[in-house]
Amino acid sequence: MEDLKVTLKQQIIESLNLQGMKPEDIDDNAPLFGEGLGLDSIDSLELMVLLERNYGIKIEDAREGRKVLSSVQSMADYIGEHRKI
Amino acid sequence: MMKPVYILSATAISPQHSFDPAGFLQPVMSSDNNKLFVQDPDYTKFINPVAIRRMSRLIKMGISTGMKSLQDAGITTPDSIITGTGRGSMNDTEHFLTDMIRMNEEALNPTFFIQSTYNSINGWLAMQTKCTGYNQTFVHRGFSFEWALMDAQMLLNEAAQPTTILAGCFDELTDDYFLVKSKVDYWKKSPVNSLELLNNIQTKGTIAGEGVAFFTLSNERHNASCAITAIKMLQNAEAEEISQAVNEILTQSKLSPADIDLVITGRNGDAAREYIYDAALKNIPEDTTIVSFKHLCGEYDTSTGFALWLANLIAAGKEIPGICITRQGTNGILKNIILINHYILNSVSIILLQIPQ
Repeated sequence: MEDLKVTLKQQIIESLNLQGMKPEDIDDNAPLFGEGLGLDSIDSLELMVLLERNYGIKIEDAREGRKVLSSVQSMADYIGEHRKI
Repeated sequence: MMKPVYILSATAISPQHSFDPAGFLQPVMSSDNNKLFVQDPDYTKFINPVAIRRMSRLIKMGISTGMKSLQDAGITTPDSIITGTGRGSMNDTEHFLTDMIRMNEEALNPTFFIQSTYNSINGWLAMQTKCTGYNQTFVHRGFSFEWALMDAQMLLNEAAQPTTILAGCFDELTDDYFLVKSKVDYWKKSPVNSLELLNNIQTKGTIAGEGVAFFTLSNERHNASCAITAIKMLQNAEAEEISQAVNEILTQSKLSPADIDLVITGRNGDAAREYIYDAALKNIPEDTTIVSFKHLCGEYDTSTGFALWLANLIAAGKEIPGICITRQGTNGILKNIILINHYILNSVSIILLQIPQ
């Protein structure tokens, strides 16, 4: 799980072009949107694409998506249970 | 006859040092591979650090140039934003299309798609300046910027109130675009040093370039050093028509060829297109100074923007850089400038600029 979270943070940094940020700068439980990393709605679409491309996960339900994308921890938990690749 | 459109400020990002006019084309930049890419300024001065991470190169260039033009003119919110681009954000378009093929049309990044649209820069500028007025992007290949200028000219002519318009143009060069267009003979077959381009008119083709230019335009003079007084466009024109069009534009403005103090030409070293400039300059007296610019910025759909930026600086009193002078004429008081440009596939534009006396 720890390896997955580091990989995931690296993928988030690359996908969203978070310049000057390293995986260790992202807290596992900090909110990704709003106060935490300050991501926006386009970033959420980019994260959905990230999940689909790297883990074969498609999230169809917006409410479920909101929960999954709330933090790195919640994303890693969901990937652990639902990954297809 | 149209009323003058005053240029309150002009800003350009180009293959030369142009963003900061204090270093007007110094040092002169060149290339040896038939491609001229822009000199990037520090974009973080004009764009929010959170927003900049998602922007492609052209978007950053467009926003920074537009914002600096407004800043230089002392305008916070223009009444309208009007731009022209031949190709829009090529880099984002290429990313998006490549991903479509690679990912079998699934799981496509939204950012590349959003930014690949032609009017993306206008949208960013409108949000950044809180401009809710008329917002238009013209996409007409070699006439894209000219149509944007003409639209601005008509709006300013019709405006009953003092009005300011942010008008601009943007096009970027990518390696893939260069490769594709080399297959239809746009570029010279052998590598040419860009500064030697105008000495290489025995062969067909030219060199590729890119650039962004923005202008704050107004129907009121303020402290403008230059005004656009006429714009004419000709498609697939014969030599005689081009010559006539120059005469017409002068006659309509109650000028004769002898009244022209400076001619700026878009000569690009292409042997097949030299006739355009020979025809355009047919009636211009021998002692008129001629300046060229495409050896400095390369050929692209909206290179007229670079020429207009250059003309505005010369009108403002900057000494004409020797590297631009094709023919040194008699020095006198600069009053009338004519800008003649053409883009591949025979789009010819003629713009008359006058210095308010």
